[in-house]
Amino acid sequence: MSASQSYTFIDHTFDAVVVGAGGAGLRATLGCVEKGLKTANITKVFPTRSHTVAAQGGVAASLGNMGPDDWRWHMYDTVKGSDWLGDQDAIEYLCRHAPEAVYELEHFGVPFSRTEDGKIYQRPFGGMTTNFGEGIAQRTCAAADRTGHAMLHTLYGQSLRHNAEFYIEYFAIDLIMDESGVCRGVVAIDMATGEIHRFRSSLVILATGGYGRAYFSATSAHTCTGDGNAMVLRAGLPLQDMEFVQFHPTGIYGSGCLITEGSRGEGGYLVNSAGERFMERYAPSAKDLASRDVVSRAMTIEIREGRGVGPDKDHIFLHLDHLDPKILAERLPGISESARIFAGVDVTKEPIPVLPTVHYNMGGIPTNYHGQVLTLKDGNPDTVVPGLMAIGEAACVSVHGANRLGSNSLIDLVVFGRAAGIKAAELVTPGARQPEFKKGDGDNALARLDHFRNANGSTPTSVLRGRMQRVMQDDVAVFRTGETLEQGRKRIAEVHAAMPDIRVSDRSLVWNSDLIETLEFDNLIVQAIATVEGAVGRKESRGAHAREDYPDRDDENWMKHTLCWVDDKSGKPRVDYRPVHTYTMSNDIDYIKPKARVY
Amino acid sequence: MVQFTLPKNSKPTEGRTFKAEGAKRVKNFRVYRWSPDDDKNPSIDTFEVDLDKCGPMVLDALIKIKNEVDQTLTFRRSCREGICGSCAMNIDGQNTLACTKGIDECKGDVKIYPLPSMGVIKDLVPDLTGFYAQHASIEPWLQTKSPTPEKEWKQSHDDREKLDGLYECILCACCTTSCPSYWWNGDRYLGPATLLQAYRWLADSRDEAKGERLDNLEDPFRLYRCHTIMNCAKTCPKGLNPAKAIAEIKKMMVERQA
Amino acid sequence: MSKQDMRTPLAKILHLGSAKSGTEDHVIQRATALAIAPLSVFAIVSVVALIGADYETARAYVGHPLISILLIALISAFVLHMRIGVKITIEDYVHSEGLKHYSLLANSFFSYGIGLACIYAALKIGFGS
Repeated sequence: MSASQSYTFIDHTFDAVVVGAGGAGLRATLGCVEKGLKTANITKVFPTRSHTVAAQGGVAASLGNMGPDDWRWHMYDTVKGSDWLGDQDAIEYLCRHAPEAVYELEHFGVPFSRTEDGKIYQRPFGGMTTNFGEGIAQRTCAAADRTGHAMLHTLYGQSLRHNAEFYIEYFAIDLIMDESGVCRGVVAIDMATGEIHRFRSSLVILATGGYGRAYFSATSAHTCTGDGNAMVLRAGLPLQDMEFVQFHPTGIYGSGCLITEGSRGEGGYLVNSAGERFMERYAPSAKDLASRDVVSRAMTIEIREGRGVGPDKDHIFLHLDHLDPKILAERLPGISESARIFAGVDVTKEPIPVLPTVHYNMGGIPTNYHGQVLTLKDGNPDTVVPGLMAIGEAACVSVHGANRLGSNSLIDLVVFGRAAGIKAAELVTPGARQPEFKKGDGDNALARLDHFRNANGSTPTSVLRGRMQRVMQDDVAVFRTGETLEQGRKRIAEVHAAMPDIRVSDRSLVWNSDLIETLEFDNLIVQAIATVEGAVGRKESRGAHAREDYPDRDDENWMKHTLCWVDDKSGKPRVDYRPVHTYTMSNDIDYIKPKARVY
Repeated sequence: MVQFTLPKNSKPTEGRTFKAEGAKRVKNFRVYRWSPDDDKNPSIDTFEVDLDKCGPMVLDALIKIKNEVDQTLTFRRSCREGICGSCAMNIDGQNTLACTKGIDECKGDVKIYPLPSMGVIKDLVPDLTGFYAQHASIEPWLQTKSPTPEKEWKQSHDDREKLDGLYECILCACCTTSCPSYWWNGDRYLGPATLLQAYRWLADSRDEAKGERLDNLEDPFRLYRCHTIMNCAKTCPKGLNPAKAIAEIKKMMVERQA
Repeated sequence: MSKQDMRTPLAKILHLGSAKSGTEDHVIQRATALAIAPLSVFAIVSVVALIGADYETARAYVGHPLISILLIALISAFVLHMRIGVKITIEDYVHSEGLKHYSLLANSFFSYGIGLACIYAALKIGFGS
């Protein structure tokens, strides 16, 4: 390999390497360090800049601080929210461990808002009910509307406390897999110097987040490019349920910045151009607090039928102006500021213009509820990939199934971040001897880096990225049809086919963000392919995947997870399926049987 | 003595100009450029931006420039909604976040420099390792000695309110790098952002290490280099007031002596 | 850039640790400022009142026990305040270790010297010798 001649590796050995320093990555790092594992955390942005910081509304756990609550009710809501595609053993694990995970966060120092008697304040959120769907639950623990920020900064502080070893502004390029399919480490580039680091590790934990930037308009940060997902694809492993992309009902019209669902939890409501609270028609009991896929579809229909607001009738109004300004200042200060800056709106007086905006990827790297990565091998759909774990938005455990409930993401981060740490301690003995790297280990990463570093075509990365984002926005949106999806498949393949003509202009090795953006785009495009492919294949409507040509859920044929492999050279996808776990983790609750999903 | 002028090799020169052909509403962006790869002085490049084809924020313009004009332009960015703190830079003479600074807020040409007083890695990317080390040095985590309760530590509504205006800090370093006292003594003075964080933990009713925290801060340089210049409060893109937090720490110092 | 600093960022920041002092200076600076405000009014009023008076009158005025005490208070407050103010300024702007220490020492000698001389003069007049 000619590529490797001009680069040298700086080698490291660790018991565990976590890639990504968002909520899940930091929680896992902490867990591993606490258990005495020599742990490195590789992150492409300084930890507190990870996108967990932008989470607003809160973190779901049945603490029962505001009234009776039960983890079984939380589990029921999550299963229903997932449109029965979630694995119920994992969902049980999530909901049972949620309260202790939140108390732990509080003990770490998260500045949760408080009730009058000094407990953690909890607010209502979409799809969260009491007594298996009867009442509205107040389950979402909040630190005003900056819960993710409060959590991330606190978790970062905790990792400082435990002297976790950070590699900040290092961009992970590829995994090192051995010939028997065991993950042996990861290669990363130090963005500040251009030096290539090769990490040998008994365990690699991917906590690299979602890939919202595959779309043109997303609440996601520019850095949400699903780098871990793409590394997994390149390692010849599948991604799961990629067709399920959540549109958040209330992204600010134009900028796409997030307005928390907590704003509706606190009493906000949506209206169309007729001034009608249209959600009453679509979800008679939950109304504006129906689950996100339901609200986003309702908004899309309203706009499509000509009842959108604004000069082009292309968005919807979110009203908060009827709420007490004191409540707004105490509980929703952050979104009040966002609305002012990005929509020029004073929330105490005017409605906020909003539009369903890409927000979250239910799909990702298939794992069990210990965080271990799974693949379909020799007919076993639960084959563990040794040495590799995935957590957070990057993972598909699957607790969110076809649609995630608001505030279930932050709890997913900490519960499974913690679970990964626990499992890591079981799997790895601190300081255990690891096989030496063989000649050629990591050359895949070097070749990839070298290829793009010298990419000398005629199309700048931004042009191709823009084309991909347009295709995804146009053809793989809230509503889908066989026709739009086929068109999307064709158009995405065209974008991929144009990759050899890509051009990287910056030749420097110091903070070469042109190169990093290109590597990120290379990561995005394969995920876009997997998303379209999964969506083309799934001929039913379930959760966030709404097919107009197949409007109903089809449990008989489609109660299964999509697995999609993508060959990164040819861009050719391959789809297979994996059964949904139709059993729970313990006998404390029975399997919740599918029924019609009405809010 | 402290240096009041830039060293010779740091003085910016006039750089290249990029025209926006056919644009009707044009704004000039004058952007600081420097790369460690050559021995050249920093330069100020001029980019004409067609405002009719650009988003409203300064970050939108920078991204447009990077996408369409000069791919080598280097800056940090992530959330683009003012919460991650990546895109802090000096715009129009003031440290702020490019993502929440409206282009129309800038009169005349938009002048963009990296955050002052930090080393520059490349273009608009400053070296913040010292800043992060300072933040780490104040032990930014909850410290308790009482047996940990099974559920949450109780905190009254009023005590929680004392954290408002403190915990919202996004560590963007706008305040710290706007502080002349930090420019002169950034190696020993902790600076406004770090002291705001220090006070965030001092003010937390759950924390049981106030004495040790104050001990660690009580120093002519770490704390008392704040001369209430107030640049920090003026520049904070989140509207926080680090100067007030520092004053509160000083009050605590006095309080525990009398 | 003469030598490369290879210490970790934290080692640089932690430096020699906290001096566990500074509050006293802070309190003295605030307290003397508080004292100087009315005392300077007194000093200005005195000077204005003595305009045109002869040496003997002025000396008698300054020698009055109450005036003497106020004058010594003003001198003390002023000197303490000045010493800390100049000290902070030196610490702010003088960065070479040797020069800084000598400047600080010189500042103390100067401030206390001036102070002692002034107080001695006031006492001398007060006790009428």
